[in-house]
Amino acid sequence: MDMDGVSEDSSRRIQVRFITKLMAPCRVPTNAIAIPSNLTRLGLSTVVNNLLLAGNPEWEAEPFDFLIDGEFVRMSLEQFLLAKGISAEKVLEIEYIKAVVPRREEEPSVHDDWVSAVDGSHSGFILTGCYDGLGRVWESSGLCTHILEGHKDAISSVCVVNPEEAASVTLATASKDQTLRLWKYSKDDRDSNPTKIRPFKILKGHRLSVQSVASQKSGDLICSGSWDCTINLWQTDETHFEGNVSIKKRRKNDQVEESQLEGDSVATLVGHTQCVSAVVWPQHGEIYSASWDHSIRRWDVETGKDLFNIFCGKALNCLDVGGEGSTLIAAGGSDPTVRIWDPRKPGTSSPIFQFLSHKSWISSCKWHDKSSFHLLSASYDGKVRLWDLRTAWPLAVIDSHKDKVLSADWWKGDSVVSGGADSKLRISLGICVS
Amino acid sequence: MKLNLDAESSPQATRPKKKHGRKNSHLKPSKSHAEKQNSDELHLEQEAPTADEAPLQQHLDSASLSDSKEDVSDEFKDLKLSKARESGSADEQDHVNTGSPDNLDQENEDDNPIRDQVDEESDSSEDEVAPRNTIGDVPLEWYRDEKHIGYDISGKKILKKEREDKLQSFLASADDSKSWRKLYDEYNDEVIELSKEEVKQLRRLLKGKAPHADFDPYAPYVDWFKWDDAKHPLSNAPEPKRRFIRSKWEAKKVVQLVRAIRNGHIKFDKPKEEQRFYHLWGDDSSSTEKTAHLSYIPAPKPKFPGHDESYNPSLEYIPTQEEINSYQLMYDEDRPKFIPRRFTSMRSVPAYDNALKDAFERCLDLYLCPRVRKKRINIDPESLKPKLPSRKDLRPYPTTCYLEFRGHKDAVMSISTEANGQWIASGSLDGTVRIWEVETGRCLKVWELGEAVKYVAWNPLPELPILAAAVGVDVLLLNTGFGDGEVQAKVKELLHIDALPATDNSDKTPIATWLQDDKVEGIRLRHFKTVSSVEWHRKGDYLSTVMPAGESRGVVIHQLSRKLTQKIPFKLHGLPVSSIFHPTRSIFFVSTKKNVRVYDLLKQKLMKKLETGLREVSSIAVHPAGDNVIVGSREGKVCWFDMDLSSQPYKILSCHPKDVTNVAFHRSYPLFASCSDDCTAYVFHGMVYSDLTQNPLIRPLEILRGHKATNGRGVMDCKFHPRQPWLFTAGADSVIKLYCH
Repeated sequence: MDMDGVSEDSSRRIQVRFITKLMAPCRVPTNAIAIPSNLTRLGLSTVVNNLLLAGNPEWEAEPFDFLIDGEFVRMSLEQFLLAKGISAEKVLEIEYIKAVVPRREEEPSVHDDWVSAVDGSHSGFILTGCYDGLGRVWESSGLCTHILEGHKDAISSVCVVNPEEAASVTLATASKDQTLRLWKYSKDDRDSNPTKIRPFKILKGHRLSVQSVASQKSGDLICSGSWDCTINLWQTDETHFEGNVSIKKRRKNDQVEESQLEGDSVATLVGHTQCVSAVVWPQHGEIYSASWDHSIRRWDVETGKDLFNIFCGKALNCLDVGGEGSTLIAAGGSDPTVRIWDPRKPGTSSPIFQFLSHKSWISSCKWHDKSSFHLLSASYDGKVRLWDLRTAWPLAVIDSHKDKVLSADWWKGDSVVSGGADSKLRISLGICVS
Repeated sequence: MKLNLDAESSPQATRPKKKHGRKNSHLKPSKSHAEKQNSDELHLEQEAPTADEAPLQQHLDSASLSDSKEDVSDEFKDLKLSKARESGSADEQDHVNTGSPDNLDQENEDDNPIRDQVDEESDSSEDEVAPRNTIGDVPLEWYRDEKHIGYDISGKKILKKEREDKLQSFLASADDSKSWRKLYDEYNDEVIELSKEEVKQLRRLLKGKAPHADFDPYAPYVDWFKWDDAKHPLSNAPEPKRRFIRSKWEAKKVVQLVRAIRNGHIKFDKPKEEQRFYHLWGDDSSSTEKTAHLSYIPAPKPKFPGHDESYNPSLEYIPTQEEINSYQLMYDEDRPKFIPRRFTSMRSVPAYDNALKDAFERCLDLYLCPRVRKKRINIDPESLKPKLPSRKDLRPYPTTCYLEFRGHKDAVMSISTEANGQWIASGSLDGTVRIWEVETGRCLKVWELGEAVKYVAWNPLPELPILAAAVGVDVLLLNTGFGDGEVQAKVKELLHIDALPATDNSDKTPIATWLQDDKVEGIRLRHFKTVSSVEWHRKGDYLSTVMPAGESRGVVIHQLSRKLTQKIPFKLHGLPVSSIFHPTRSIFFVSTKKNVRVYDLLKQKLMKKLETGLREVSSIAVHPAGDNVIVGSREGKVCWFDMDLSSQPYKILSCHPKDVTNVAFHRSYPLFASCSDDCTAYVFHGMVYSDLTQNPLIRPLEILRGHKATNGRGVMDCKFHPRQPWLFTAGADSVIKLYCH
């Protein structure tokens, strides 16, 4: 490309054509226009907004992100072309998408204690776990509809077992009192506000604090990782209590006598040498687990054997599997790096991506369930960052927490929910992930 | 050209022959005799008569040598004069006579000093002969690049004649049939043409004959000596044989030299090349020919004058009046010797009044100051460093602080990690014991004990979550409440005292009494003196407490299951500082202020005494394998003892500028750490090899900073995470920090 032209003339113009996959109101005419080459993302966004405003007088300004050949533009256009070696002579095709940034911040939902776990996998509510031993169901910001009461110690992890069912949803919570509890939640039975729910099943079997819980897609089984280095599998089905696995028991010290089941673990996966800090169950027969012994393992549920393990070098706190083909493993732990591995690559000991902007331990990382590029990470430095695999910079930083963020999740595909040591659940809305 | 060169070299070529001839002339007629015969050859033959020969042969009867010399010279004069008159030959011949022998003289002046004398005398008598040597006693090459050669008598330069270039002179010589007889006299810068007679003479000389054709070398011997009437006849003995054969010893010496040259023992160096330029004012201490000698030590150079000693220095060199006044207040030694002043011109500078004194002092310096050659060894300081592995290869080790545990109101004195590494406990001067969750930094439990907590220790068994805390004279055994129902039941049973064990009815105050403490739901062990530290045995049943003021009962061992207290069955030497159980065997370490004593609890006897050599021991830690001990001291040193090796420290690391408050080993990683009142904690790599012949490898890894000094105290305690390469540090600034890898 013409080096002299770039350097000598700052107001040099480039022929570009804006294309998009967005729907009608966001489309601009596809004829090529000439724009100055020193525009950055903001400048490009202004250009597109002006074009849209010209076609549609009611158009409200909207931030956009720009992709050239599948890469985000994060510097000025001419620098980008220079860095990538793209010719500026021909008409450049720039794809624009809506910027993945939160548009709106909801009022915080205040808890009594640190919010240790959030789950937004059900679109109707947010499930949170708290250090006061209570689980809470939030229908929207500040609206706590149900309280899950029963744990004797802090809840460390929560999960919605069967998100598909609308009428009655099973919830699972893991706690530092060495038990897991299963709860039934239905939206309709709301008498007082908030409703207190008691668990229908107590899962005992771990010898030390339970650190994480995850459910199978079908909702029949859940798995849990614990400080006693094991992963236990449990049945969620209440009809099975007659069998040898479960014992029926009545609680006497409660005013209302209600039936509570106690369940034993169906199977135990042994192999980790330290606290199993995170488990995910993305597919029917496979469990992924991350541990403080610096390894990530994949377990075959049928045989109980670990299929492979990735050695990371750092104690891991969180893990998620998703992305392209739901196979990429993202994990973070006792250092400020989010690492992403691709287990399909042969000899996968080194991560394929590393995201480095955090300042402290990573407490949570979650893939977006629709997009194969986006993930979020939460850190003890009080920030939640949104990442795109196509760029090394964070797309957005949500800096709403005053203290450590202990957990974060996507909600309804366009929001980020996060809970932290400032005892608040924060909801950031309006994130357009295409 | 070639001829010219030949001609030039011919005098030299003839020389040895001439010498030879002279040697041979012992038995020949004397020179004077020959000169009488051929006066023309006088100068060519002049060097022949030597001091020994001429008098011997001419004036055997003369009384003194000096007389004879004069006689000889007189004779020469006469001869010369006569020759000049007789021959009347051309000027050129004079040139030959005077010039060329002079040439020879220049080269052979060592050989016959008499020759010069003779020449001068003859010159003085013959005024008309112009002085031919215009350049004096200097090598000819000094005039190589000059335009002149020598000086005439009035001191003016004699310019060199312009020389034809080689081609022209060659052409000229080719044309000129006489050119082969011409030769160039460098000294006088002129061309000499030899006459035919001279050429003939030279030819004869080349052949080794006498120069003049008329000279008959084999003239019949005339015995001038009068043999008759001699009172004392000369010896008539025939000449001995040794005069005619060469010396045996000389021959041997020659053979020796020849061999040496052949074998290369004697080397002929190339002639030393004269340095064309040299540093006139150079420092003679560095000049090679002087330093080549052993003992030469150059005198120290006086200081060169600087700008301030100029007669008109810049204004900034001139001291102000105040400065001059302040000089008066200084000591004599410090006072500047010279005060710069300005003068308008050189002329107005007065005489230096200290000149004599300075010169005298300089002489004194040179004379009295002993100059000693210092022996210096050049050692690369890098090479003295021990070879240590790179820090990168020794990962993981704690480097960065990511988590802080905040909540204490005063200095945190002690921390202890739970066996799994899920929680840590801390005791602080604000009277609280807290339990924290490592993962999030959350404070889970607080006990308000009302008095400063000196020490906390978590029971090493994971199934016995009991915490021991030293508070004043008490040791509290606290139920942390972790674990499931079974564990809790067991702990509650352990921490319950049914009935007080049969108290000794001795008159002495008991060492410790076991009391139930309902407020904290634990056991209160009341000692008779303030407890400074508590350590658990690895099996979690015994715990030892140290009371520095307890004298002979300063170290006590309690048994939790039987609620028993006993003092150790060993005599204590000095103030006990801390005690610790061996990680695998029934061995007990007690450190006093000076030394560490190692006791075998089974055999109940002293095993070893580790001599620290430190002023005051502050802390001790035992390697998980049990054979190595580190000891921290109040003077900032950390000693590593290899107990198999010796009772002396294997390594002493003096890394902290202030007191070392605690030392710690990692349970599984080869790491150890020390923390100090200078607000830092040091992390070391301390690899102990199972091979007994290999010494432990110690390598400093990282200095961990971050704590703030409070009341002069820095980091009070450090403990490693039991499973991760992480370090907890407790600071006097009431913060606990977790450093991760």
